[in-house]
Amino acid sequence: MLAGHPELFEAVRTPEVFSSEKQGLPPTSYEPKQVPINSDPPEHEIYRLPLSKAFSPKAMLALQDDIRQLAVELIEKVRQEGRCDFATEIAEPLPVSIFMKLMGLPLEMLGEYRVWVNELLASGVPEVRGEALRKIGLGMSSIIKARMDQRRDDLISRLLDTEIDGRAVTFEEMQSYCLLLFIAGLDTVMNGMCFGIRHLAKDKALQAKLRADPALIPEAMEELLRRYTFTMPGRIVARDHEAFGVQFKKNDRVLLMLPAGDLDPREFENPLVFDLDRENKVHIAFNSGPHRCVGSHLARLELKILYQEMLSRIPTFSLDPERPAQTHGGHVIGFDSLGLVWDRS
Amino acid sequence: MKIIIDRQACVGHARCQAVAPDLYPLDDNGYIDTDGFTVPEGEEPSARRGARACPERIIRTVNDPSGKDWPPKA
Repeated sequence: MLAGHPELFEAVRTPEVFSSEKQGLPPTSYEPKQVPINSDPPEHEIYRLPLSKAFSPKAMLALQDDIRQLAVELIEKVRQEGRCDFATEIAEPLPVSIFMKLMGLPLEMLGEYRVWVNELLASGVPEVRGEALRKIGLGMSSIIKARMDQRRDDLISRLLDTEIDGRAVTFEEMQSYCLLLFIAGLDTVMNGMCFGIRHLAKDKALQAKLRADPALIPEAMEELLRRYTFTMPGRIVARDHEAFGVQFKKNDRVLLMLPAGDLDPREFENPLVFDLDRENKVHIAFNSGPHRCVGSHLARLELKILYQEMLSRIPTFSLDPERPAQTHGGHVIGFDSLGLVWDRS
Repeated sequence: MKIIIDRQACVGHARCQAVAPDLYPLDDNGYIDTDGFTVPEGEEPSARRGARACPERIIRTVNDPSGKDWPPKA
């Protein structure tokens, strides 16, 4: 387990030792190829490039009106109630719908897809996780085939017309891309939102500050990401190697404990304190190095818009004492529910 | 003051542009679009913030008038 900021910084830049080829912890018997997340250089860059283009900051800005419209719709639905389960009523549908729209996935499948992702990411049972991967893979294959017959204006169609290293993408590569993008886009932003909103629910002064000056929201968002980093990727050791005073052996499994890196007192003074004015907010919540989260620009845009709309439309909100938050661990630490209350007058 | 960027090491965080949009241009794919520049007078704090915002630490300052260049020597 790598839990220090400098150690993580170095490890993610040493893919020849800390390979992404296998990442599941505990190891699953079935770990299908999901380019480029479990690729190493030189294959990694070849597969990453089409995604970098598709998820560039500029490309994501084109989605901002859709994101805002959906956020407003979801928030307005609950505003008069004076309470909601933020996780299931807002945080889950918002990024998931945007992502499914982007990818060209059928929105009627939203509920079913979410069950599969939960089984995949939250189950401690390797067989359950393996089975979830199989189901997701089958779902993706049928959509790829449909788009091969007829293109639409969506990401799967665009990827079908992508060139990998100068030649057409293969069906297996499409399955691989879609599996990764399926998993990556569904559970992550949701939990980022929940951690942020939970913190705000406990810090009324911060809510007031951000309502008074919404221009502070991007800085607050970065500090929330640092304080509540919630993803922990895995690595497999490709060859014997000594580093950080430890003897790594080939085939050792390594957990990149990113949350610990973002709470490392060697890097961040008083790391457990949320400090909007902290001079160094440079976090690794999206990891760093070649596997930096390709969805980070989309994630930041969704988070920013969500915080803007929640703070402008919902009055001061608190945690609902009758519905305490439920969370689960795993490679992505997540929320099953997050009850909020506010004055509906 | 100058900024020097190890351009081929950019992985596209885009934090430099987010904190100092007037100084750090990105290409259409979200990668830094310059090897570096001379910092216009008065823009030193902005240039410094942009350099420090890079999680990869590939943006160096040279002759920062504050006396401390970034990143610090290991």
